[in-house]
Amino acid sequence: MSRDGYTGFSRGEARTRTATSLNFETMGPLRRLVKLPWGFILLIIAMALTGVAMLYSSAYTNPNEHNLWYLQLTRFGISFVMMLVLAMLPLSWWRTLALPAYAFTVLLLVLVIVMGVTGGGAQRWLQVGPVAVQPSEFAKLATTMALAWYYDRVITPTSGRVLIHLGALAIMIIPAALIFKQPDFGTTLALIASAGVIIFLAGLSMRVILVGILAGIASVPGIYFVLADYQRERVDTFLAQLSGHATNALGESYQIEQGLIAIGGGGVNGKGFLQGIQSQQDYVPEQHTDFILTVIGEEFGFIGTTALLLGFAVILGWAFYSASQSQSWFGRLASAGAAATVAFYIVFNVGMVIGLLPVVGMPLPLISYGGTAMLTTMACFGLILSAHMHRDEKLSSTGII
Amino acid sequence: MSRNRSIEDDFTRRMIIAAGAGGVVWAGLVARLFQLQVLEREKYQAAAEDNHIKLALAPPQRGRILDRFGKPLASHRRAGRVSIVPEQTRDPAHTLAQVAALIDLSDERIERLAGEITASRRRNAGFVPVVVANELTYEDFARMNVHAAEIPGVQVEMALTRSYPRGRDFAHVLGYVARASQDDLERLSVGMEADEAKRLEKLFRHPDMRTGRQGMERFAEEYLRGKPGFRKLVTNAHGRVIEEIPDDRFAPVPGKDLYITIDSDLQRAVIERFGEESGAAVMIQVDTGDVLAMVSTPAFDPNDFVNGISGTAYAELRDNPRSPLYPRAHGGVYPPGSTFKMVVATAALESGAVKPTDRVNCNGYYHFGNRTWHCWKKGGHGSMDMHNGIKHSCDVYFYDIARRTGVEAIAAAARKFGFGEAWTLGMTGARGGLVPDPEWKQRVMGEPWYEGETLNFGIGQGQLGVTPLQLSLMTARIAAEGRSLKPHLVGLGPQSEEDGILDQPLDKDIIDIMRSGMYGVTSEGGGTAYRSGDLGLGGPRMAGKSGTAQVRRISKAERDKGIRKGLNIERELRDHALFVAFAPADNPKYACAVVVEHGESGSGAAAPMARDILRFAIENDSGRKPAYGQTASVTPAGQGEPT
Repeated sequence: MSRDGYTGFSRGEARTRTATSLNFETMGPLRRLVKLPWGFILLIIAMALTGVAMLYSSAYTNPNEHNLWYLQLTRFGISFVMMLVLAMLPLSWWRTLALPAYAFTVLLLVLVIVMGVTGGGAQRWLQVGPVAVQPSEFAKLATTMALAWYYDRVITPTSGRVLIHLGALAIMIIPAALIFKQPDFGTTLALIASAGVIIFLAGLSMRVILVGILAGIASVPGIYFVLADYQRERVDTFLAQLSGHATNALGESYQIEQGLIAIGGGGVNGKGFLQGIQSQQDYVPEQHTDFILTVIGEEFGFIGTTALLLGFAVILGWAFYSASQSQSWFGRLASAGAAATVAFYIVFNVGMVIGLLPVVGMPLPLISYGGTAMLTTMACFGLILSAHMHRDEKLSSTGII
Repeated sequence: MSRNRSIEDDFTRRMIIAAGAGGVVWAGLVARLFQLQVLEREKYQAAAEDNHIKLALAPPQRGRILDRFGKPLASHRRAGRVSIVPEQTRDPAHTLAQVAALIDLSDERIERLAGEITASRRRNAGFVPVVVANELTYEDFARMNVHAAEIPGVQVEMALTRSYPRGRDFAHVLGYVARASQDDLERLSVGMEADEAKRLEKLFRHPDMRTGRQGMERFAEEYLRGKPGFRKLVTNAHGRVIEEIPDDRFAPVPGKDLYITIDSDLQRAVIERFGEESGAAVMIQVDTGDVLAMVSTPAFDPNDFVNGISGTAYAELRDNPRSPLYPRAHGGVYPPGSTFKMVVATAALESGAVKPTDRVNCNGYYHFGNRTWHCWKKGGHGSMDMHNGIKHSCDVYFYDIARRTGVEAIAAAARKFGFGEAWTLGMTGARGGLVPDPEWKQRVMGEPWYEGETLNFGIGQGQLGVTPLQLSLMTARIAAEGRSLKPHLVGLGPQSEEDGILDQPLDKDIIDIMRSGMYGVTSEGGGTAYRSGDLGLGGPRMAGKSGTAQVRRISKAERDKGIRKGLNIERELRDHALFVAFAPADNPKYACAVVVEHGESGSGAAAPMARDILRFAIENDSGRKPAYGQTASVTPAGQGEPT
């Protein structure tokens, strides 16, 4: 892919381009737009259009769903414009917005519990006029921004003590607990995982991390009993599947089984666009949302799924690389955290669909049908792009609270 | 600065670790996809195939029933059918109301259909069409076809339906088909393994399947049914059919065509000759035993039964005083009257108690015990030998020889002629009638046989009951000069197993006397049916014997006044008219029996009818070589096309 003029990984080289980056603030909007890393953006567009095509394939025969692809395309268009606007925001604005956004999201999460709309056995939705939003999705980005803001303030040349990470832990725990209460186990895990990546990158002692991991593993049985019934069922289903006892053709193991049949049935080359037997005949429930990978797997085969994962790997790899180039802690951690958020979406979704993880209800970024996830994902990319454009800025601590 | 630098280095190191961990996870996902899509793809491809290909039962097409010359008597007709697909309609009541505005549907039926539609939705089988109306008239079909597009969920299609193109003509011979009831299924699955019975039940649940409920349709059920096959259907997750994959290996095997021996043109001619009269006629080809006509009239239209007859329509048939459901030809039991006299005469000669030349003097009455038996001719016939006794149908002569012969010998001869035996020939509803004897009377009525009853027996009255089919067999036997005779109704197809009674040859000399007596009846001066003997064909004549079956006992007062001769009494009280005949008299080819209910006089009502139908048979050569005879030798059974 095009690297937009970047050819190396070394920081020395990056510094030689400082002028470009510093001048960004002074450019007009059009110039700024042109300066964006268009290779990265074009890849995002390509992935999203693939998603729209798969959506068309999964739903065009269904009279109630045949226009989903169009809706999704519209949403992508809107989200895309939003991403471009966010990309051009000065990074300091992001940092300034981090705390209010976090506070607002926590407020929304509380509202969900108080007056949310129940759907699928859990209270996750907030009805705002005609649209239902899922604040837990925004929480991922807001928590990432808040953590980056926090570390940006506390990391000093003398830091490195364990104590400073306690504040980060608190920032992570509040939304995580609220989301877990909904209950939405998958999003809670994803949020903790991406927050964990930020804390890890911020330098939490390896020893503490090791103890934390061991404690986490020890608490697994405890968590099992805290889970809601449907969540426990999912875990049971997953365990039954791992031990080869999943013969129940109804409910969740049916969904997984049919998904596996679709993906496995696609073989190496796939059955071709619109030719999937499983996909075209409604065998896989939720195939336009969380199980969209089954359509890709069946119609484009191993080549298609691998290409998809490769595309994601390139996007995320570039984001990580870009994060490493940032001169500010906010830029580094926010960008890496946003990339991790998107990465965990992908891992959880693909892992679930191909039977490696329990069913957690996580969409595939850019591909699955759904508005909130699309917005979150594109906002993450907006943040990554903004951090990239302002990578050479050493944000001063002044002017913040 | 060095401290700062180390944090920077640590960050870079941790970024590389995180990216590496991500790479490992990615590799894990790709590995799993490789396992699913490359290593195990065949397993999942097979599972996908299993998932969406369903085998649906395909009912076989029922074999046709054809007449002697290959004209279809039971075949198929495309009939318009309206059905509603429950899942495609929002408001079943509204949809039904829209359909009812176009075709005639009773409120009761609408209510039942609404219930069915709701039930099928509840069962999640909303894609299985519910049949609203089966037999659309051409106008209804055209109208429905035009408007169906405007009513969501309504389907208008053509389905193959059993059809009886000859309608009433063959109602009692062929019977009819109907949707299999629980009783039918139990009957059909007798002696079957449980899973075989289950398959049968499943087959008959198909809306296009029918089973023979009556007549030949029932008798030849398995021969006609064929073997079901399968249709390979591509379905979606909800079971809705997306497309059909043609596959000849699974095609159903159609049932075989059944040929019967009847000449449908002759059958029609006989029915037309009956006109408004009720009765029965059976004609048999003398040298082969083929039944050429088998008429019971009035009859019902078997087409009405194919899709289930309504309660009121059935009640109308059942309560009709002319009994159209009654299979008179083989299930109607009548006293044979004087047509039985050949049997009595044969018994008398066989027993040796009487010689043909023995004379009996008839004064018009016969005293026995303390009772008087009357001859039908008030003044008497004078001196009678056997030939004249038959020709004049002299009752006194037969009272006398019957008494001398004895009841046992007469009953034995009657049985040799096939009386007392239910000749089903593949039909339903056949009855055997009754040949009474002392043993029977003692057993059933608990009384000894009185000799006076033998006198009644001698003129075909009393407990004796026979069917028109039995009378025609008797006549054919006489026409065939006593040769053994195997009656058939099935030309090509499964044969019914009848008792071998007519296999036993009768004495030709004795039978020749019967033949000449019957010739006298129609062709010699003084014969009771003298005017009917000429067939009007310039040569061949008919030989026959009339009979009158009393519907009630004649009182002395009536006899004195001669009232029973009149046609002015109520129809229901008039006697049945019978006539048995064969033609040509010198070289018999066709034998027939005719019963005209309440026809009053055998020679007056039945004899002309027998003459006309025999003439039709001779003129049209009804007994000529049948179609199956030509095809059966060159093609396997049932596969031959009618010529």
